[in-house]
Amino acid sequence: MIKFLKLYEKIGIFILIVAASVFLAIVSPNFRNLNTILSIIMQGSYGAIIAFGMTFAITSGGFDLSVEAIMGFTSVIIAMLIPSLGFAGSIIIAILASCFVGFLNGVLITKVGISPLITTLSMQVILRGASLIITNGRQVVISQKSFMSIGASKVFNLIPTPIIYMVVLFAIFYLILNQTSFGRHVAASGSNEQAAKMSGLNVNLIKTVVYILVAFSASIVGVIRTSQTLIGIPTMAPGFTLNVLTIAILGGTSLAGGKGNLTGTLFAGIFISMIYYGLNLLNVQIFYQMLAVGITLLFALFIDGLRMKYLETAKVKGIRV
Amino acid sequence: MDDIKVGLTPKQRAGNLLGSFGLIAILLIIFGFFSLLIPKLYFTWPNLRDMIRFSSYVGIGAIGMTFCIMTGNFDISVGSMLALAGVLGASVALKAGGIFGVIITMAAATLLGVINGLFVTKLKIPAFITTLGMYFIFRALAYIYTNNNPQYIQDRFWIFLGNGSFLGIPLPIYIMALCYVIAYLMLRKAPFGRYILAIGTNSRAAALSGINVDNIKILVFTLIGVFVGVSAVLNGSMLGAANPGMMGDGYEFQVITAVVLGGTALTGGSGSLGGTLIAAMVIVFLKTGMSNAQVNSYWQQVATGLVLIVAVSLNKLKFWLIGQTQ
Repeated sequence: MIKFLKLYEKIGIFILIVAASVFLAIVSPNFRNLNTILSIIMQGSYGAIIAFGMTFAITSGGFDLSVEAIMGFTSVIIAMLIPSLGFAGSIIIAILASCFVGFLNGVLITKVGISPLITTLSMQVILRGASLIITNGRQVVISQKSFMSIGASKVFNLIPTPIIYMVVLFAIFYLILNQTSFGRHVAASGSNEQAAKMSGLNVNLIKTVVYILVAFSASIVGVIRTSQTLIGIPTMAPGFTLNVLTIAILGGTSLAGGKGNLTGTLFAGIFISMIYYGLNLLNVQIFYQMLAVGITLLFALFIDGLRMKYLETAKVKGIRV
Repeated sequence: MDDIKVGLTPKQRAGNLLGSFGLIAILLIIFGFFSLLIPKLYFTWPNLRDMIRFSSYVGIGAIGMTFCIMTGNFDISVGSMLALAGVLGASVALKAGGIFGVIITMAAATLLGVINGLFVTKLKIPAFITTLGMYFIFRALAYIYTNNNPQYIQDRFWIFLGNGSFLGIPLPIYIMALCYVIAYLMLRKAPFGRYILAIGTNSRAAALSGINVDNIKILVFTLIGVFVGVSAVLNGSMLGAANPGMMGDGYEFQVITAVVLGGTALTGGSGSLGGTLIAAMVIVFLKTGMSNAQVNSYWQQVATGLVLIVAVSLNKLKFWLIGQTQ
């Protein structure tokens, strides 16, 4: 069983993707077309990018439920500031403001000692309210059409820009998690916080940086989505937090903390997008997507639960895994 | 308070005082503040009566959550559970009458609670994340079942449950009182109460001392379902409809806030039902006051988020003053 779980951890998500691809290629002629495939990957990039940050949070032993509110917050700041500050200025301020929200999350969790669940759930409600206050409950239209080039254009007339952002961010996050001491410290804080503290790590600082990274990744997606619609939407992407959590856990990052799998996260993001595409083929209502993501999350949890259970048994029996 | 003893340090006294009277003081301050601000709207018997009546919505649902948080777990799915049970019951009531509708609402919520309990215990995953999945699944099922159409509740019996009065006091207040008496007896007079506190304090020790932790947890999640079912019946009755999208929206947040504000430790092992009840009233008193004073609804949203953060911080302060670490 442990062998199966180890195998699943390494290639499980690939098998899911291959199975889904074969299935879609059979039932949908459209799927055998490069543009469709790129469009599916692009749709998956939004969840995947935020899930990179979420993977860090889960690896550090926490998680962040405020990401969808951060997307909306970014969106309204950009829409409000673009007329006076232009593209670069408004984007930078929006991302910095979001990072500050991540910093607040981190401080409340590490310094005040409120659990990640309560902190980020409250932050979600507060930030949603704040975004609605900023725009007075309205959606704000952005008149500069050229702003669309950020998220809605194609490189070489082929690859949508969000895919490029996803690949670049994946490379950065991957290097941070796997090649830097900071990445190892994040994992150490998540697998045994006490031990990490004893060995002299500044766990509070590490975790705070992690929540800033989550907010940063959510903010990037906020920028992309705003650019595509040219509207500042305070209530952007309701329920998207579930997608992000599902992607991170499905990708093989264990809720027990200490172990992040960014490659898995990347492919899980694409897999979820394939599910959506498949459901669209069936012409079902949008609620079925909600149902499908919920069920996928339970499946991912089931696998994660099995893993924790068998790792525990292995530990008791003294087997090295 | 029977645990105020001679020999406590001033800090510990302050902590105890904060724990036992802080909440009642907050309730009185809120009531006094809005009574002075908008006396004609707020400081009237009908308004007070209605605020307590509306407290039943959060108050009854928070009973199960108090048990749950005492064991160190969370249930995020209560709002969606309320909606799914509500639309199922309301649709049955249209065909078979209100009594069957009420029974189906209760039964559906209870069953959903059992399902949550089974998933949480068998998956061995933190309950909040399992129930977060359920939060979306239940809500999606409510949409799919109704095709996103509200189910109107016109049955006279069902409407009477939430809007009728006996001796000048609204029925929901009696129902809430009854729920709290039953819950109090379970918590303080039955072995169940000791078991959940033991599990919350140290789950492994509880298991070693012979408590069937999984069964107790399943029972706790089932009880959440039962009390959410009662809330769904009353909420549907007061609104006259069960709406798959709006019913119970944000309910989990209000309920968790009530429990935490009521002084139940998030880490489990201690808590009070009385605190939860008063906290539920604090939430409604504050919300009604802000609405009556025409505070922008977005600011109200921000305020509800802040209340939870402040409540948890106050709890931390209390335990720090007493000298316990949470």
